[in-house]
Amino acid sequence: MTNNQTNAAALPVPAIEGTRFSAKFLIVFRRELAGYFTSPIAYLVAFAVLLLNGLVFNGDLGARNGVTQTDGTVVLRWLAELTIFFAPLMTMRLLAEENREGTIELLMTLPVNDTDIVIGKFLGAWAYYSVILVLTFVYQGILIWLAPPDIGATISAYIGLWLFGGAALAVGLLFSAITENQIVAGFLSVAILMVLWLADQSGSLVANRNVAQLIRTFSFQSHFVYSFAVGVVRLDDMVFFVGVIAVMLFVTTRLIESRRWR
Amino acid sequence: MIEVDHLTKRYGAFTAVSDVSFSAGEGEILGFLGPNGAGKTTTMRILTGYMPPTEGTAKVAGFDVFTDSLEVRRHVGYLPETVPLYPDMTVRGYVRYIADLRGVSHAADRVTDVLKIVGMYDRRESLVRSISKGMRQRTGLAQALVHDPPVLILDEPTIGLDPHQTLEVRDLVRDLGKSRTVMFSTHILPEAEQVCDRVIIIDKGQIVAVDTPRRLRDRLQQGGRLFVRINADAPANTVIKTLSKLAAVATVEPYQDGYTITTNAGADVRARVAAAAIGAGWELIELRPLAMSLEDIFLELTTHTPEMGHLAGSERVR
Repeated sequence: MTNNQTNAAALPVPAIEGTRFSAKFLIVFRRELAGYFTSPIAYLVAFAVLLLNGLVFNGDLGARNGVTQTDGTVVLRWLAELTIFFAPLMTMRLLAEENREGTIELLMTLPVNDTDIVIGKFLGAWAYYSVILVLTFVYQGILIWLAPPDIGATISAYIGLWLFGGAALAVGLLFSAITENQIVAGFLSVAILMVLWLADQSGSLVANRNVAQLIRTFSFQSHFVYSFAVGVVRLDDMVFFVGVIAVMLFVTTRLIESRRWR
Repeated sequence: MIEVDHLTKRYGAFTAVSDVSFSAGEGEILGFLGPNGAGKTTTMRILTGYMPPTEGTAKVAGFDVFTDSLEVRRHVGYLPETVPLYPDMTVRGYVRYIADLRGVSHAADRVTDVLKIVGMYDRRESLVRSISKGMRQRTGLAQALVHDPPVLILDEPTIGLDPHQTLEVRDLVRDLGKSRTVMFSTHILPEAEQVCDRVIIIDKGQIVAVDTPRRLRDRLQQGGRLFVRINADAPANTVIKTLSKLAAVATVEPYQDGYTITTNAGADVRARVAAAAIGAGWELIELRPLAMSLEDIFLELTTHTPEMGHLAGSERVR
């Protein structure tokens, strides 16, 4: 720390004037995505997904063994259920860590909108989820090589799983914002995702048909398993998942903002 | 550069900052002194746009912290009390990330420059999790400097550092203060004394004193203090009685192996004390004025003694 004075004098002209309309969320996005590739948990998730999917894939293939046609959506339906557990693992860190390390205070005193931070983080997680989805192409490759399944249904299931994954990550991000404890964030997200997934079975719990129907409308399962996963791409299912993402991100932004008022 | 006007912040029923007003000019180093929970961090958080005030206004670099928050944040470099670092990034990567978020032009060069200023250039590729506390502090400082802000707000930048690192950070702050407004909080008093142009002492959310460190000391030291050690056959009571009778002596109290004498404002009683001691046939072993450090001032102002300046019998004499 010698020569402070000379260094200070040699500074370039103040560089305060930022690019006001630049997309700051892209900077956050880039860091979060890169963060996944340097954190062990992301590799563990990828490893577990591939291992568990591989077991299911292998079992399914053995059972069909020339008897019935191959089905590319089996692995994806299984992956949807795994997502309930893996999406929170990927998102629990995102804001809870900022809360714990105190870096949220820095982010909130930078000339960056809260929305940029939330969207950047969400897109980072979603991009990593997409990478995991791409990894499962290996199973589809094997199927196509062995005995081509219904490609249309497979593509539809991928679209649905991608949207469902986004919604699950958005739910996880919301719970990551409310606590500084990653484990708490993770558990709460798993619990809520479970409820949302199983809301489909509300008919067996709620006697009133209309109420049951209403609860069922919010079920993640009914918007995926009985539509995308069987090759039906419906606009209302897409709107549902995109809507869930939008609402969750909005609430998350508000939760972060509310820190300013506490 | 910083103008705070009747600022109040309440958390529910608790008032963290109450009707605080002060200002800091260009190129001024302002020390913010107070015990824990005095409202230092809250004030700084308001000034950096982290939270809005309940009442009152604050302007930084000419922008209102509430209505022009983004503009304020552009002009302020802030180092919070817990240094905000991402453990899994490298030092350079971290500073670069903040530079990018701030939209700094020529970010790569600028990051190199600030890392050199804070002395972290040699460790730029180290992971943040692996560097020492002092280095973390300096990396945090690099982040606060990266956009060359006219106003720098540092919340306890020397907390938890070893003496050597403390000195380094102190020098750095003094250096930075030559070209910009620096506001920094501390509870290490000599530090404020050495570094600051002006000191604000805050306690329980209220400002108890604002002045230069020297004038603060003078103000509270109108009645001077002496320490005297006497080797006398007479009991302590007699000595106290004799010395108390001298002109301009306010109080005499035993302290350690001698006595402290508080004098009335502006009086020099040393000659009289010496004469009295010798006249009584005692041995005068030591007679010296007690300078009041900022620490004494601080304790005096924040422990709510009824009369200011009445410091006799202080346990804090060094």
